[in-house]
Amino acid sequence: MGVTRAINYYEDFEIGDKIRHQRGRTVTEMDNVMFTQLGLNTAEGHFNEDFMSKIRIGTWGGTRIVVGSFTIGLVIGLAAEDISENALAEIALDKIRLQTPVCHGDTLYAESEVLGKEDTDLFKGAGIVHFKVTGKNQEGKMVFEGEKKTVIKKREFYLKDDENFWPRK
Amino acid sequence: MAVKTFRRGNHYEDFKVGQKFRHHWGRTLSKSDNILFTHLTMHFNPIYLNKEYAKRFGYENVVINPQFIFHLTLGMSVEDLSEVGGPFLGVDNLSFINPVYPGDTLYAESVVIDMRESKSKPQFGIVTWKTSGINQKGKAVIEFERRNLVSKRGSLPQ
Repeated sequence: MGVTRAINYYEDFEIGDKIRHQRGRTVTEMDNVMFTQLGLNTAEGHFNEDFMSKIRIGTWGGTRIVVGSFTIGLVIGLAAEDISENALAEIALDKIRLQTPVCHGDTLYAESEVLGKEDTDLFKGAGIVHFKVTGKNQEGKMVFEGEKKTVIKKREFYLKDDENFWPRK
Repeated sequence: MAVKTFRRGNHYEDFKVGQKFRHHWGRTLSKSDNILFTHLTMHFNPIYLNKEYAKRFGYENVVINPQFIFHLTLGMSVEDLSEVGGPFLGVDNLSFINPVYPGDTLYAESVVIDMRESKSKPQFGIVTWKTSGINQKGKAVIEFERRNLVSKRGSLPQ
Protein backbone atom coordinates (compact mmCIF):
# COMPACT_ATOMS: atom_id res chain seq x y z
CA MET A 1 0.00 0.00 0.00
CA GLY A 2 1.35 3.42 -0.96
CA VAL A 3 0.22 6.93 -0.12
CA THR A 4 -3.15 6.69 -1.89
CA ARG A 5 -5.79 3.97 -1.46
CA ALA A 6 -6.50 1.56 -4.30
CA ILE A 7 -10.28 2.09 -4.26
CA ASN A 8 -10.74 5.09 -6.52
CA TYR A 9 -8.88 4.54 -9.79
CA TYR A 10 -10.57 5.29 -13.11
CA GLU A 11 -11.75 1.68 -13.40
CA ASP A 12 -13.48 1.85 -10.00
CA PHE A 13 -16.08 4.43 -11.14
CA GLU A 14 -19.19 3.31 -13.00
CA ILE A 15 -21.69 5.65 -14.61
CA GLY A 16 -24.61 6.08 -12.22
CA ASP A 17 -22.59 5.34 -9.05
CA LYS A 18 -23.64 7.55 -6.15
CA ILE A 19 -21.45 8.25 -3.15
CA ARG A 20 -22.52 9.86 0.10
CA HIS A 21 -19.26 11.19 1.52
CA GLN A 22 -18.75 10.27 5.14
CA ARG A 23 -17.57 13.45 6.82
CA GLY A 24 -19.45 16.69 7.30
CA ARG A 25 -17.78 19.93 8.29
CA THR A 26 -19.05 22.94 10.22
CA VAL A 27 -18.07 26.21 8.55
CA THR A 28 -16.56 28.67 11.00
CA GLU A 29 -16.11 32.42 11.04
CA MET A 30 -12.37 31.75 10.72
CA ASP A 31 -12.86 29.88 7.43
CA ASN A 32 -14.94 32.61 5.86
CA VAL A 33 -13.09 35.69 7.03
CA MET A 34 -9.63 34.18 6.48
CA PHE A 35 -10.30 32.96 2.95
CA THR A 36 -12.33 36.02 1.92
CA GLN A 37 -9.37 38.16 2.87
CA LEU A 38 -6.62 35.83 1.53
CA GLY A 39 -8.51 35.71 -1.77
CA LEU A 40 -8.69 39.54 -1.96
CA ASN A 41 -12.50 39.35 -2.11
CA THR A 42 -13.63 42.86 -1.16
CA ALA A 43 -17.40 42.26 -0.86
CA GLU A 44 -18.37 43.47 2.62
CA GLY A 45 -21.21 40.95 2.84
CA HIS A 46 -18.56 38.40 3.78
CA PHE A 47 -16.80 40.38 6.53
CA ASN A 48 -18.90 43.33 7.78
CA GLU A 49 -21.54 42.07 10.22
CA ASP A 50 -22.96 45.58 10.81
CA PHE A 51 -23.50 46.13 7.06
CA MET A 52 -25.11 42.73 6.54
CA SER A 53 -27.38 42.99 9.58
CA LYS A 54 -29.19 45.82 7.76
CA ILE A 55 -29.71 44.02 4.44
CA ARG A 56 -32.16 41.31 3.48
CA ILE A 57 -32.85 40.09 -0.08
CA GLY A 58 -34.97 36.94 -0.01
CA THR A 59 -33.01 34.34 1.96
CA TRP A 60 -29.84 36.41 1.68
CA GLY A 61 -28.71 38.86 4.35
CA GLY A 62 -29.23 39.58 8.05
CA THR A 63 -25.77 38.23 8.81
CA ARG A 64 -22.48 37.63 6.97
CA ILE A 65 -22.57 35.06 4.18
CA VAL A 66 -19.75 32.61 3.63
CA VAL A 67 -17.87 33.46 0.44
CA GLY A 68 -19.23 31.23 -2.34
CA SER A 69 -15.87 30.16 -3.67
CA PHE A 70 -14.98 28.76 -0.22
CA THR A 71 -18.30 26.87 -0.08
CA ILE A 72 -17.51 25.43 -3.52
CA GLY A 73 -13.97 24.49 -2.49
CA LEU A 74 -15.16 22.91 0.76
CA VAL A 75 -17.87 20.73 -0.81
CA ILE A 76 -15.43 19.59 -3.51
CA GLY A 77 -12.88 19.01 -0.74
CA LEU A 78 -15.29 16.89 1.31
CA ALA A 79 -15.77 14.69 -1.76
CA ALA A 80 -12.07 14.55 -2.63
CA GLU A 81 -10.79 11.60 -0.60
CA ASP A 82 -13.38 9.38 -2.30
CA ILE A 83 -13.36 10.74 -5.85
CA SER A 84 -10.10 12.69 -6.40
CA GLU A 85 -7.48 10.99 -4.24
CA ASN A 86 -5.97 9.37 -7.35
CA ALA A 87 -6.65 12.36 -9.62
CA LEU A 88 -3.86 13.85 -11.74
CA ALA A 89 -5.71 17.09 -12.54
CA GLU A 90 -9.00 18.88 -12.21
CA ILE A 91 -9.79 20.22 -15.66
CA ALA A 92 -13.29 21.69 -15.56
CA LEU A 93 -16.23 22.82 -13.45
CA ASP A 94 -19.66 23.66 -14.83
CA LYS A 95 -23.27 24.42 -13.88
CA ILE A 96 -22.32 25.64 -10.42
CA ARG A 97 -25.33 26.92 -8.50
CA LEU A 98 -25.47 28.19 -4.93
CA GLN A 99 -29.16 28.04 -4.01
CA THR A 100 -29.03 28.51 -0.24
CA PRO A 101 -26.63 30.92 1.46
CA VAL A 102 -24.16 29.42 3.96
CA CYS A 103 -23.59 31.23 7.26
CA HIS A 104 -21.10 30.71 10.10
CA GLY A 105 -22.03 27.58 12.06
CA ASP A 106 -23.71 25.73 9.19
CA THR A 107 -22.56 22.15 8.63
CA LEU A 108 -22.02 20.92 5.08
CA TYR A 109 -22.20 17.39 3.68
CA ALA A 110 -21.23 16.26 0.17
CA GLU A 111 -22.54 13.69 -2.29
CA SER A 112 -21.30 12.71 -5.74
CA GLU A 113 -22.65 10.92 -8.77
CA VAL A 114 -20.71 9.58 -11.76
CA LEU A 115 -22.16 11.12 -14.94
CA GLY A 116 -19.67 9.90 -17.52
CA LYS A 117 -16.21 8.62 -18.40
CA GLU A 118 -13.95 9.30 -21.37
CA ASP A 119 -10.42 8.69 -22.57
CA THR A 120 -7.87 11.48 -22.65
CA ASP A 121 -4.44 12.28 -24.06
CA LEU A 122 -3.71 14.82 -21.33
CA PHE A 123 -1.84 12.26 -19.21
CA LYS A 124 -0.73 8.77 -20.12
CA GLY A 125 -2.60 5.94 -18.48
CA ALA A 126 -5.50 8.04 -17.26
CA GLY A 127 -9.09 8.86 -18.12
CA ILE A 128 -11.56 11.64 -17.42
CA VAL A 129 -14.41 11.02 -14.99
CA HIS A 130 -17.34 13.42 -15.07
CA PHE A 131 -19.02 13.90 -11.68
CA LYS A 132 -21.98 15.78 -10.32
CA VAL A 133 -21.19 17.00 -6.80
CA THR A 134 -23.77 18.40 -4.40
CA GLY A 135 -23.49 19.96 -0.96
CA LYS A 136 -26.27 20.11 1.62
CA ASN A 137 -26.52 21.86 4.96
CA GLN A 138 -27.66 20.43 8.31
CA GLU A 139 -31.30 20.90 7.28
CA GLY A 140 -30.80 19.00 4.04
CA LYS A 141 -31.07 22.16 1.93
CA MET A 142 -28.94 22.24 -1.21
CA VAL A 143 -26.17 24.82 -0.80
CA PHE A 144 -24.04 23.82 -3.80
CA GLU A 145 -24.45 21.83 -6.94
CA GLY A 146 -22.03 21.56 -9.79
CA GLU A 147 -20.29 19.26 -12.22
CA LYS A 148 -16.59 18.57 -12.50
CA LYS A 149 -14.28 16.77 -14.86
CA THR A 150 -11.30 15.11 -13.29
CA VAL A 151 -8.38 13.21 -14.82
CA ILE A 152 -7.91 10.01 -12.83
CA LYS A 153 -5.17 7.38 -12.97
CA LYS A 154 -5.94 3.98 -14.42
CA ARG A 155 -5.21 1.11 -12.08
CA GLU A 156 -3.59 -0.98 -14.80
CA PHE A 157 -0.93 1.71 -15.41
CA TYR A 158 -0.26 2.98 -11.92
CA LEU A 159 -1.14 0.42 -9.23
CA LYS A 160 2.36 -1.08 -8.97
CA ASP A 161 4.18 2.26 -8.93
CA ASP A 162 1.68 3.63 -6.42
CA GLU A 163 2.16 0.66 -4.12
CA ASN A 164 5.93 1.14 -4.29
CA PHE A 165 5.88 4.89 -3.73
CA TRP A 166 7.59 5.14 -0.35
CA PRO A 167 11.02 6.43 0.74
CA ARG A 168 13.82 3.90 0.49
CA LYS A 169 16.58 3.70 3.10
CA MET B 1 -10.89 69.94 5.43
CA ALA B 2 -13.47 67.92 3.58
CA VAL B 3 -13.82 64.28 4.57
CA LYS B 4 -13.83 62.04 1.54
CA THR B 5 -14.86 58.43 1.06
CA PHE B 6 -13.62 56.72 -2.05
CA ARG B 7 -16.57 54.57 -3.15
CA ARG B 8 -15.53 51.30 -4.76
CA GLY B 9 -17.48 49.08 -7.07
CA ASN B 10 -19.79 49.34 -10.06
CA HIS B 11 -23.58 49.25 -10.29
CA TYR B 12 -25.72 47.65 -12.98
CA GLU B 13 -25.88 50.95 -14.87
CA ASP B 14 -22.06 51.08 -15.06
CA PHE B 15 -21.70 47.92 -17.18
CA LYS B 16 -22.10 47.38 -20.91
CA VAL B 17 -21.67 44.23 -22.94
CA GLY B 18 -18.12 44.00 -24.31
CA GLN B 19 -16.62 46.17 -21.57
CA LYS B 20 -13.20 44.89 -20.42
CA PHE B 21 -11.50 45.08 -17.06
CA ARG B 22 -7.94 44.48 -15.92
CA HIS B 23 -8.37 43.87 -12.21
CA HIS B 24 -6.19 45.28 -9.49
CA TRP B 25 -2.96 44.18 -7.89
CA GLY B 26 -2.00 40.70 -9.07
CA ARG B 27 -0.95 38.29 -6.36
CA THR B 28 2.00 35.96 -5.92
CA LEU B 29 0.93 32.52 -4.71
CA SER B 30 2.73 31.06 -1.72
CA LYS B 31 3.08 27.60 -0.28
CA SER B 32 1.00 28.71 2.68
CA ASP B 33 -1.99 29.67 0.47
CA ASN B 34 -2.10 26.14 -0.80
CA ILE B 35 -1.50 24.53 2.58
CA LEU B 36 -4.27 26.52 4.26
CA PHE B 37 -6.83 26.00 1.50
CA THR B 38 -6.09 22.35 0.78
CA HIS B 39 -5.96 21.31 4.43
CA LEU B 40 -8.92 23.36 5.65
CA THR B 41 -11.15 22.10 2.83
CA MET B 42 -9.92 18.53 3.50
CA HIS B 43 -8.96 18.14 -0.17
CA PHE B 44 -6.98 14.93 0.18
CA ASN B 45 -5.14 14.51 -3.09
CA PRO B 46 -1.35 14.28 -2.64
CA ILE B 47 -0.55 16.34 -5.76
CA TYR B 48 -1.45 19.35 -3.55
CA LEU B 49 0.29 17.97 -0.44
CA ASN B 50 3.41 16.06 -1.47
CA LYS B 51 6.06 17.49 -3.81
CA GLU B 52 7.77 14.17 -4.49
CA TYR B 53 4.48 12.54 -5.43
CA ALA B 54 3.50 15.47 -7.69
CA LYS B 55 6.84 15.23 -9.56
CA ARG B 56 6.04 11.66 -10.60
CA PHE B 57 3.38 13.03 -12.93
CA GLY B 58 5.46 15.76 -14.60
CA TYR B 59 4.68 18.59 -12.20
CA GLU B 60 7.65 20.75 -11.21
CA ASN B 61 6.51 21.19 -7.59
CA VAL B 62 3.50 20.69 -5.39
CA VAL B 63 0.51 22.03 -7.36
CA ILE B 64 -1.55 24.90 -5.94
CA ASN B 65 -5.07 23.57 -5.35
CA PRO B 66 -7.07 24.77 -8.36
CA GLN B 67 -10.05 25.58 -6.12
CA PHE B 68 -7.87 28.25 -4.51
CA ILE B 69 -6.89 29.58 -7.96
CA PHE B 70 -10.60 29.93 -8.72
CA HIS B 71 -11.22 31.57 -5.33
CA LEU B 72 -8.40 34.09 -5.83
CA THR B 73 -9.15 34.92 -9.50
CA LEU B 74 -12.78 35.56 -8.57
CA GLY B 75 -11.68 37.50 -5.48
CA MET B 76 -9.49 39.91 -7.47
CA SER B 77 -12.41 40.61 -9.82
CA VAL B 78 -14.88 41.51 -7.07
CA GLU B 79 -14.14 45.20 -6.57
CA ASP B 80 -14.75 45.93 -10.25
CA LEU B 81 -17.59 43.48 -10.85
CA SER B 82 -19.69 42.54 -7.85
CA GLU B 83 -18.65 44.39 -4.69
CA VAL B 84 -21.71 46.62 -4.50
CA GLY B 85 -23.86 43.70 -3.85
CA GLY B 86 -26.00 41.13 -5.14
CA PRO B 87 -25.95 37.40 -4.53
CA PHE B 88 -23.65 35.16 -6.52
CA LEU B 89 -25.86 33.10 -8.87
CA GLY B 90 -23.56 30.66 -10.58
CA VAL B 91 -20.49 29.72 -12.58
CA ASP B 92 -20.42 27.91 -15.93
CA ASN B 93 -17.78 26.71 -18.37
CA LEU B 94 -14.87 26.84 -15.97
CA SER B 95 -11.59 25.42 -17.31
CA PHE B 96 -8.39 24.87 -15.36
CA ILE B 97 -5.92 25.36 -18.21
CA ASN B 98 -2.44 25.20 -16.66
CA PRO B 99 -1.07 24.23 -13.24
CA VAL B 100 0.03 26.97 -10.84
CA TYR B 101 3.00 26.57 -8.49
CA PRO B 102 4.19 28.39 -5.37
CA GLY B 103 5.96 31.57 -6.54
CA ASP B 104 3.77 32.09 -9.61
CA THR B 105 1.90 35.39 -9.84
CA LEU B 106 -1.74 35.52 -10.83
CA TYR B 107 -3.57 38.38 -12.59
CA ALA B 108 -7.28 38.55 -13.38
CA GLU B 109 -9.17 40.16 -16.26
CA SER B 110 -12.82 40.12 -17.30
CA VAL B 111 -15.23 41.04 -20.06
CA VAL B 112 -18.99 41.64 -19.73
CA ILE B 113 -20.74 39.03 -21.88
CA ASP B 114 -24.43 39.41 -20.94
CA MET B 115 -26.76 41.78 -19.08
CA ARG B 116 -30.44 41.60 -18.32
CA GLU B 117 -33.01 42.96 -15.87
CA SER B 118 -34.16 40.72 -12.99
CA LYS B 119 -37.88 39.96 -13.34
CA SER B 120 -38.40 39.08 -9.69
CA LYS B 121 -36.12 41.74 -8.16
CA PRO B 122 -36.51 45.06 -10.00
CA GLN B 123 -33.77 46.74 -7.95
CA PHE B 124 -31.24 44.34 -9.55
CA GLY B 125 -29.93 43.32 -12.91
CA ILE B 126 -28.18 40.08 -13.79
CA VAL B 127 -24.70 40.46 -15.26
CA THR B 128 -22.52 37.69 -16.70
CA TRP B 129 -18.78 38.16 -17.03
CA LYS B 130 -16.10 35.97 -18.53
CA THR B 131 -13.13 36.12 -16.16
CA SER B 132 -9.63 34.81 -16.90
CA GLY B 133 -6.67 34.23 -14.63
CA ILE B 134 -3.23 34.54 -16.22
CA ASN B 135 0.22 33.93 -14.79
CA GLN B 136 3.37 36.10 -14.93
CA LYS B 137 4.22 34.69 -18.38
CA GLY B 138 0.83 35.71 -19.75
CA LYS B 139 -0.32 32.08 -19.92
CA ALA B 140 -3.96 31.39 -19.17
CA VAL B 141 -4.43 29.27 -16.06
CA ILE B 142 -8.20 29.52 -15.53
CA GLU B 143 -11.29 30.79 -17.34
CA PHE B 144 -14.92 30.91 -16.22
CA GLU B 145 -18.26 32.63 -16.69
CA ARG B 146 -19.86 34.07 -13.54
CA ARG B 147 -23.35 35.46 -13.04
CA ASN B 148 -24.40 37.78 -10.23
CA LEU B 149 -27.33 39.91 -9.27
CA VAL B 150 -25.93 43.45 -9.44
CA SER B 151 -27.75 46.24 -7.64
CA LYS B 152 -28.91 49.34 -9.41
CA ARG B 153 -27.79 52.71 -8.10
CA GLY B 154 -29.42 53.65 -4.79
CA SER B 155 -31.01 50.26 -4.14
CA LEU B 156 -28.69 49.11 -1.32
CA PRO B 157 -27.33 51.09 1.67
CA GLN B 158 -23.85 52.57 1.16
